[in-house]
Amino acid sequence: MSDNHAEHGPTDPPPPDSYEVPPEGAAETCPDCGRPFHDAELVALHRGLAHEAVLDDEARERVAAAREVESRRLRLFRLKAIAALVVLYFGLLMVYAVVT
Amino acid sequence: MDRHRGVVRWTVRACALVAWALAALGTAVGPALAHGGSLGRAARDSLSVPAWLIVATGGAAVGASFLLASFGTDRAFVAGLHGPRRYLRLPGRRWLSRLAGGLGVVVLAVVVVAGFLGSTDPLSNGAIVIVWVGWWAGFTMSTYLVGNAWPALNPFRAVARALPSPDRRYRWRWGAWPAAAGLLALVWLEVVGPLAEEPRTLAVTVLAYGVVTVAGALVYGPDQWFGTVDPVSRVLRMYGRVAPLESTGDGLALRFPGGGLTADVLDGRDDAAFVVTLLWATTYDGLVTTPLWRKVARVVVNGGVPPVAVYPAALVAGAGVFWGLYLLAARLARRTAPTYVDVATLVRRFAPPLLAVAAGYHLAHFLGYFVALLPPLALAVTTPLATVEPAVVVLPGWFGTVAVAGVLVGHVLAVLAAHATAFEVFPGRMQAIRSQYPFVAVMVLYTVVSLWIVTRPEVAPPYL
Repeated sequence: MSDNHAEHGPTDPPPPDSYEVPPEGAAETCPDCGRPFHDAELVALHRGLAHEAVLDDEARERVAAAREVESRRLRLFRLKAIAALVVLYFGLLMVYAVVT
Repeated sequence: MDRHRGVVRWTVRACALVAWALAALGTAVGPALAHGGSLGRAARDSLSVPAWLIVATGGAAVGASFLLASFGTDRAFVAGLHGPRRYLRLPGRRWLSRLAGGLGVVVLAVVVVAGFLGSTDPLSNGAIVIVWVGWWAGFTMSTYLVGNAWPALNPFRAVARALPSPDRRYRWRWGAWPAAAGLLALVWLEVVGPLAEEPRTLAVTVLAYGVVTVAGALVYGPDQWFGTVDPVSRVLRMYGRVAPLESTGDGLALRFPGGGLTADVLDGRDDAAFVVTLLWATTYDGLVTTPLWRKVARVVVNGGVPPVAVYPAALVAGAGVFWGLYLLAARLARRTAPTYVDVATLVRRFAPPLLAVAAGYHLAHFLGYFVALLPPLALAVTTPLATVEPAVVVLPGWFGTVAVAGVLVGHVLAVLAAHATAFEVFPGRMQAIRSQYPFVAVMVLYTVVSLWIVTRPEVAPPYL
């Protein structure tokens, strides 16, 4: 399935008080709402979904870049998922052929 | 508009994908379904596929549905599958609900009278057949296949509403924990007690439950009591989350089956614990009829533990193990995602999908039972006090397929609902997929346990 359009569906991030940050602090926080994230890419993805209306051009570019990186990772994951499905399917098929 | 058209297009593509996936799984699972997991337990002796292979195939099917779900990464599409699709107005809703309440009271009266005065043969006693076949098997199936009508039908609610209410109402402060304990107590009664064999005992139990329930509803108010404390109402309401129809303030909401499992509907950890307890309760019911349980119980009793303590101890310990595994999955999900969202939120958001698993297991357990006992049910409803030898429907051999299919469809719905919830909670799509690793592992484990139980020969539980 295509990754590059219609990504801006509804999102429902948990309220800001339902986060648990280790004592040394969060790696990154959202400049708009203060929610903590593990890396800058997740912050950009979050801002693109939750604060899209108030982003400036630079922030928008960052969101687009983060989505691009994420899409590449998703493509790789899908290849692995297909490989796993094929192994699972034919593996079971062979087990059935041997057992029954 | 554009988004709407996009959702429709994606829905069509998704349906094609799901159809293809089911066909693919069908060819893998088909041979197993044809022979194993029959509710007509005698069929299990003639298995041509070993039970371990059926169990492994089921686990693989759940894992495969996770991998397939991970292809649906379009946010608008994932969100479009969930939530209400349309609202249906119901004319004369208040009158319908009164009528349903009245009907509930009449059925309750019939159950109590037939319990005390009817035949002592369970199959021709109106109370036993109406409660177990009509209500616990049939009505409960309707709550997750159609929609939960219990708030309208509940006779105890109708009685509490008709009684004069006291001036002062107390506030309930213990959340859903007592409801979870109450559910375990009811399951224990059902497994250990002769509630399905002795009509008198059943009638006394129904009356005792009724007195406690009506008193509670008067002290705490019907909405608080039936919404929070009463385990029976809570079980049926939870099953109703799986159904395509739900009664809301705007009328009847229509959605895809399982579409109600992604909403943030639980109150907290206690509510999630109730869901896991319900899942365990449906599992325990089957577990105590396996040969393994018989062996383990014998060993434990020979070791000096009184037989009376074995059943409740296993019930509570098992609930603890299921809950512990689920908590562990939520904790691990924080690391695999990775996310700073706290455990309490993850526990609350990812529990509702498990309801589809519980519903699937209930269907596997009770559909055959319900269909086989339809003639006695028809007799019980028309002539509750008559003593006739009722006929029983003999199920065809392929009917066992339905049991295994119920377990599988429940798990697949659960995986899809959890996937959609992850997309709501997490901003990253890869993050959402990764958050599901521990939950899917736990679900595969639950499936394996469920299917293992369904494929065991059934023996009578010892020491009862």
